[in-house]
Amino acid sequence: MKLTADGVSWQAGATLIVQSVSLAVGAGETFGLVGPNGSGKSTLLKMLAGIRAPSSGRILLGDEPIGAISRRRVAQTIALVEQLADTIDRITVRDAVELGRTPWLSALSPWSVRDEEAVADALRAVGMERLATRSWHTLSGGERQRVHIARALAQEPSILILDEPTNHLDIHHQLSILALIARLPVTTIVALHDLNQAMACDRVGIMDGGRLVAVGPPREVLSTERIETTFAVRATICVDPSDGAHLLRFHGTP
Amino acid sequence: MRRGWRWGWIAPPVLLIAFVAGASIGETPIPAHTVLTVLANKLFGAAFAVDRIDAGIVWNYRLSRAVVAACCGAGLALAGVVLQALLRNALADPYLLGISAGASTGAVAVAVAGVGGGMVSLSAGAFIGAAAAFVLVAALARAAGGGAGVQAAGVIVLAGIAGSQLFNALTTFVIAKSANAEQARGIMFWLLGNLSGVRWPDAWLAVPAALLAVAVCIYHIRTLDAFTFGADSAASLGIAVRRCQALLIGVTALVTAIMVSLVGSIGFVGLVIPHAMRFVVGVRHGLLVPASALAGAVFLIASDIISRIVIPGQVLPIGVITALVGAPVFALILVRGRAGR
Repeated sequence: MKLTADGVSWQAGATLIVQSVSLAVGAGETFGLVGPNGSGKSTLLKMLAGIRAPSSGRILLGDEPIGAISRRRVAQTIALVEQLADTIDRITVRDAVELGRTPWLSALSPWSVRDEEAVADALRAVGMERLATRSWHTLSGGERQRVHIARALAQEPSILILDEPTNHLDIHHQLSILALIARLPVTTIVALHDLNQAMACDRVGIMDGGRLVAVGPPREVLSTERIETTFAVRATICVDPSDGAHLLRFHGTP
Repeated sequence: MRRGWRWGWIAPPVLLIAFVAGASIGETPIPAHTVLTVLANKLFGAAFAVDRIDAGIVWNYRLSRAVVAACCGAGLALAGVVLQALLRNALADPYLLGISAGASTGAVAVAVAGVGGGMVSLSAGAFIGAAAAFVLVAALARAAGGGAGVQAAGVIVLAGIAGSQLFNALTTFVIAKSANAEQARGIMFWLLGNLSGVRWPDAWLAVPAALLAVAVCIYHIRTLDAFTFGADSAASLGIAVRRCQALLIGVTALVTAIMVSLVGSIGFVGLVIPHAMRFVVGVRHGLLVPASALAGAVFLIASDIISRIVIPGQVLPIGVITALVGAPVFALILVRGRAGR
């Protein structure tokens, strides 16, 4: 399903965190969002997920304004994986993933075999099925992130929004989570810190000071000039001789 | 939720045993079979022979008292469950957050100022006080940057202390300004939590309040679970966060207010019971809500029994008993919470 931002802004007090961003992400697309710290990525993602109402502009899910759709129906379509969401409750991995079924359950449609299967599939997709009975508090950062993704998958969304899902993970888990996201047959919008990881997306958007300053295929928008103005580092583009992929190498400015 | 209801059969026998214990233990011990006989006579119109004085004590004094105690225990325990789930704070409890103190202020203002009169207006005053206290404490916590998250957990408790102190001071001020010496003594005793004056008319307010709390919480079991990773996460799981928070906290304040207006402010029930039940049944609300309601009911009946018999010839305020149990548990949660992180 198509998700559109139509001139959305978000204001905290007098500060504009996001300024009139317009963006359309099509069905099946993997869209990467990059930008320096504090450029408004997380806020934009929360607006796209419909859990934060824009101060101005609107978000459309399909053709409908997201604010006009019930929270429950939005959650049946869009799942959000936040950064570092933690809990004080002593829950198990399975408990956490079962939360993903919340938008599908009600007094009239109680927990069923169908939900059991969705949870099992989600656990399998992230390779956590053998840790299902482990306590949340004993998990490593990478395992917790995978559980969050499993919870989002258990929601069976057609759009998955992830806020820096590879943060704090070792390189193996970073790559396995990115590969997992790439395999999923859903529309994905993912904020990324690592510009080389963004190279694998279908399209990339660059946030700078609350504005979306560039959108397009990664090789076009992640140019050395753009990287220098937005991230304040010099970059050179290298080509991997094994597969011809473009890599960015960064040089700090003195 | 799907594993919960097969334990439902436990509730009626446990409650019956608690009621019978509440009715038979006291300064004048009354055998359990006499209590059951009175119950049969009153509830099912049986005509068993029974001593009229015993019957009077059992039915008019002790049973009404046990029923109100059970309702207060269930209501306050659920208030704790709701506040802990929504505020993501292990120490959230209507007493610690100043909601009980606000309710006391409201109730005392009505009682001493004599606005309206009768039970309902006392409860209404208590509700206004409770709601005002919660709004104040929440605003203070927000201003202090409490927001959400594990690290900010202490802020709202500090705000609660400030709120409690303010409303307790207001209560004392109202008493000192408007009440005569005898009124003041009665109110001070009531403030510590006291079931001595409780009769059947009080139960007609307590029972619906407790049933409301149970019904609202059971209807919102999945909502309470969805707050496990915070409000934004709950929203992304399809919960209408603002509406649910307003409803659940509103009901919490209302039930707390009604209980305070009936029996004074009894502390720590909302803290001790949910934590104890998490050890027994786990953190999922499908079991935690009914277990906490039941355990809260039994805990307060037991506390009431102890308050009647611990010093012969004298009734201790029930709040003293719950605090003697609750304060160490509070300390334990603090220490464990630190180790857990």
